[in-house]
This record gives sequence, structure tokens and C-alpha cells, in this order.
Amino acid sequence: MKVIEIKNLVKIYNGSEIEVKAVNGIDLNFEEGEFAAIVGPSGSGKTTFLNMLGGLDRPTSGEVNIGGINIWGLSSRKLIDFRMNNIGFVFQAYNLIPVLTAGENIELIMHLQGRPKKEREERTKELLDAVGLIDRLKSRPNKLSGGQQQRVAVARALASKPKFILADEPTANLDSKSTTGLLDIMAEMNRKYNTTFIFATHDKRVMDKAKRIVTIDDGKVVEDKWQ
Amino acid sequence: MMTYFKIAWRNLWRNKRRTLITSASIFFGVFFAIFMSSVQQGTMQNMVDNMVSFYTGYLQIQEEQFNENRSINNSFIPNEYLINSINSHNAITQYAQRLESFALAASELNSFGSMILGIQPEKEDAISGLSKWIIKGNFITPGSKDVLLGKVLAENLKLVLNDTVVLIGQGYHGVSAAGKYRVAGLLDFPLAELSRQVVYMDISNCQELFSLPGHLTSIVLMVSNPDEVQGAATLINQDLPDELRIYRWDELQPELVNLIEGKLASGKIIKGLLFMIIGFGVWGTIIMLMSERKRELGVLIALGMRKTRLTIMIIIESAYIGILGILLGVVVSLPLVWHLFINPLRVGGKIGETYTKMGFEPIIAFSMQPEVFYSPAITIFIMFAIISIYEIWYIAKLKAVIALRA
Repeated sequence: MKVIEIKNLVKIYNGSEIEVKAVNGIDLNFEEGEFAAIVGPSGSGKTTFLNMLGGLDRPTSGEVNIGGINIWGLSSRKLIDFRMNNIGFVFQAYNLIPVLTAGENIELIMHLQGRPKKEREERTKELLDAVGLIDRLKSRPNKLSGGQQQRVAVARALASKPKFILADEPTANLDSKSTTGLLDIMAEMNRKYNTTFIFATHDKRVMDKAKRIVTIDDGKVVEDKWQ
Repeated sequence: MMTYFKIAWRNLWRNKRRTLITSASIFFGVFFAIFMSSVQQGTMQNMVDNMVSFYTGYLQIQEEQFNENRSINNSFIPNEYLINSINSHNAITQYAQRLESFALAASELNSFGSMILGIQPEKEDAISGLSKWIIKGNFITPGSKDVLLGKVLAENLKLVLNDTVVLIGQGYHGVSAAGKYRVAGLLDFPLAELSRQVVYMDISNCQELFSLPGHLTSIVLMVSNPDEVQGAATLINQDLPDELRIYRWDELQPELVNLIEGKLASGKIIKGLLFMIIGFGVWGTIIMLMSERKRELGVLIALGMRKTRLTIMIIIESAYIGILGILLGVVVSLPLVWHLFINPLRVGGKIGETYTKMGFEPIIAFSMQPEVFYSPAITIFIMFAIISIYEIWYIAKLKAVIALRA
């Protein structure tokens, strides 16, 4: 089943003198349960593409249809709500809220969704258990290693039961062991919850784990292969 | 909502030093403002109390023309209905009748112009504490034919106790007024001007001197609480005949009101400047705080927190800083101000003498009026409300994608 349908997506940055086409007419579809990597050299437009996909950066033209809804046709407020209910994010720098514990970081998004306390607590424990950090439920991010923080970030991204998860360079700050561990967990989550994962990455280890690799260069898809 | 309070509270302690320094600046502002307002209001109230109890009372009933033209021709006879009306109002604690005029006070050797005050001795003493100024002799009793002289007047007339003073003047509608009286006591007021010219006598004696049986120039009224002045004035005014008018103390003492307003205004300017300096300091902290947390705010927006909720969370956080400063300021200043309210500071030296010469008790009094405490709190609240406009604006224009790069 098609989760994301991207039509002729364009993003142009207007500098003082020059115009930069960061994304130059991308057409792509992502199916439910995909484990895909967007790859390409630095400045190729991966992150810009991912941001437009996630409803964070407005495209100059084109459409991003998620579950049949063109997200860029929504009002700002509706877009925020849509993001909360349909899209999960994993950032390169983890970006956990430092004043909240691991459990509270995961619970926060469910709290914003208005889910009952009992359900929130149960799901938080389930997700922390799934990423192997149930014993760190009450630990603040500064008490966790980088790998552990990123695992909590993955659990947080899954908490809202999103249609897909966007991960921008999720392993860039991790050592080899943590990267392997994180990728295994994400693959397991992908399998267990059938959630679509889309990564923007340079990391060979992520590419090796991905089932589909979309290569972008100069804002265009130059290769789209399954492995 | 509790989550926002929790996050805001924890955020507050992420940078303890900054929070404490910011709260401390608010604390000092609140403490200083409370202390300053308390001493200002206390001093002013003391001034008013002194003036009111010494002469004007909180309220005075006079004949309509008397305040403009202080002639005994503008006197009045109080009817029973008016006296009953005064007695029936609970707010009125005391009242005394006066007949006031001028005459020439003479002895064998000299004569001087003097102010004659016909009083109800016991009632007047209860209001103004007149007897405490007696330095020689005794206070007069109701119905007494004796008089009390100002000390300086007695010295000028070369009179001592039990001597006779002759009063010559003009009575009601030009009738000649003359009488001789025994000096029963000498009064030494802090204001030399008063001691130089006053002659007190029983009101019936005075009415006889000026051929004004039953006439008064004023009825002085006291209330238990200065806040009740206007209410009492309104009530009594309803029962007054057309030719009489009731005056509040501030209408009778416009110079004192101007002095008080001037002093309060200068205090407000100083407090305004103080809060402005604190306000800019707090604003600087908020700018720093928002800038440092830009990426985190971007993350929360990306995750799905609406900007309105995010704004509420940030406003709660800055409100905590304000509340902390206000509470500290009030809690620390309250016992100190209370202590000084109970034990006002005695003023000595030349300043004390100046106070005394002006007829005021030589003390620095403090006020415990609720306004002293809530006024700085409201100012801080307004300050934070203005600063929150910056927070609202900052979050409204915040773009998650840019914030995430911060």
C-alpha cells in the first residue's frame, strides 16, 4: 500500500545573487513497511528532500501526498497536528528534551496526542523494552550514551504510531557498535510494527541494511534500486 | 497542562545561576519598592494623621461660605436632626463643635491679634489631644469661664497663670464683643505661629463673647478608618440642610494634598526607573534563554507541539522566575516592614526638630497597607506580560526547519 506519493517536488533557494535548486523535480513513492535509504553526496538535497517530506520545509512547487492528503495544502496548525499523528523523526543529534527522562521523552508526544495516562505508560514501557532500555526509563538524556539516546529517539519516533519515520543521518554521531545496535533495532521495529523507515545517510552500514536505496544528486533522483 | 508546568519548572533549573541571578534582581526590585512605598505611605499617613487630629479632623461641617470667608457671620446653629444624623453613623467615632473667630487680646501693657477658638473641652481633647500641649496650669472644663493661652502670646502680653486677659473684637453682624478671662493654662505647640496667636475657651463662653448663642463655625468629625472618609461624607451630606456643606480633610488642606501627591509622584518615578532597569535585565535573560533553546523549540514543533502550547510553556517558565522574585521580595520585606510599622524609626537632630516645628511627630513611619505589597507584584506582572509579547513573537516566527539547524 502506497504511504507516500511525491509529485514533481521542487525547492529553490533564492540567494542574493544566485538561485539554488536544492530539489529539482523529484517523483517518488514509498510503500508501507519500506526500509529505504536516501543517499547522495553532501549538498545533493537529501536533507531538504526529507524536510519537505516531513512537513518541515515548504516546497517551492510539487506535492507530498501522505495517505492521500497533500500535506502542503494544510494550514500550519493542521500540518503540525498531521505531523504529530503521522510522521516520526529521528535526528542526527538525537534532540531529546534534556529536562525529561527517557520515559517522559517518549510519553510527551502521546501526551500531545491526548492519549490516556495508562495507555501512555504501557506504550512507553513497551517501546523502551523494544529498544533495550527499559532499565533507563527514569534516566535523563545526559545520563545516557549517544547510542542509548538515539535508541530512545527511535522509541519516541514510534510512540505516536506514525505512518513513517524520517531519520536524518541517524548514525552520524555513533560509533560502530552503537550504529549496528541501532540499525538492528530499527530493522526489528520495521518488521514488528510494519512502519516505513526512510533514512538520509552517507553511512555505508545503513545502506547495507536498507532494502531500497534512492540516490539523489543535484536535487534529482539519479538511481532508485531495491536490494 | 501539568506537563507544561513540569517542563517549565525543570527548565528553570537547567541554568541555576542564571535563574537565581534573574530572580534576585526581581527580588531586590520588589524589596526596594515595598520598602520605599511603605516608608512613603507611612510618612504621608503620619503627616495626614497629625494634621487631621491636630486641627482639621477627617471631615468638617461648615456653613457654605465659611471656608472662603472665615467670618463668624458665616456660622450656623446645628439642629437636632443633624446631631442625631452624626450620632447615627457608625463610621463617625468622635465629633466636636467649634466656634472660631479673631479678636484683640490685651493685657495691662500690650495687645496682640489672636485667634479665638471656642471648643467643647472634653471632646476637643479626645480628638486633638490638646491638653498634652499644656506646659503650665490646667486644661479647661466644660462651662468654664477660663481660657488657655498660647505660650508666646502670654509672653508677649506679659501674662502668667491666673492673670486676666481682655478680649476685644467684633461679634455677630458688627456687635461689639468684649470680655475678660482668667488664664487657666499655657499651651506650647510645636508650631510657634500657633503659640503666638491662639486663645482657647469653652464654646458657650465663646458664643457669649461674640453674641452668637448656639452658633458654630464648624463641627469636626473623626472616622475610625481613613478609608471611610468618603463614605461617611456622602451619608452625612444627605442629611445636611442646603446652607451647610461637608468637607473632607483633603479639601480643607489642599497644600498638604499637593505635597503628598508630589512626593508620591517622585517615588513612582524612582520605582518606574528601577523596574525599567530590572525589566531590561529580565528581557535580556529571556532573549538568551530563547536563543539557547532555539533548536529544542524547533524539535518540539517538529514533533507536533502547537506553537500556542509552546508559547504557554515558555510563558509559564518566565512567570516562574517572576513569581520566585516576587515571593522572595514579599516574604523578606514583610517581617521587616511589620517590625518598622510597629516600631517606627525616631528621627533625631535637626531633621527631628524640623519635623517637630512643622507640627509632625518626629518619626519615620511605615505603612502595612496591602497596596504596598501588591503594587510591586502587579508591576512585575505587567513587566512580564510585556516581555511575553517578545516570547509570543519569537515563537510565532520560529520555523522548525531553521531552528533544527541552530
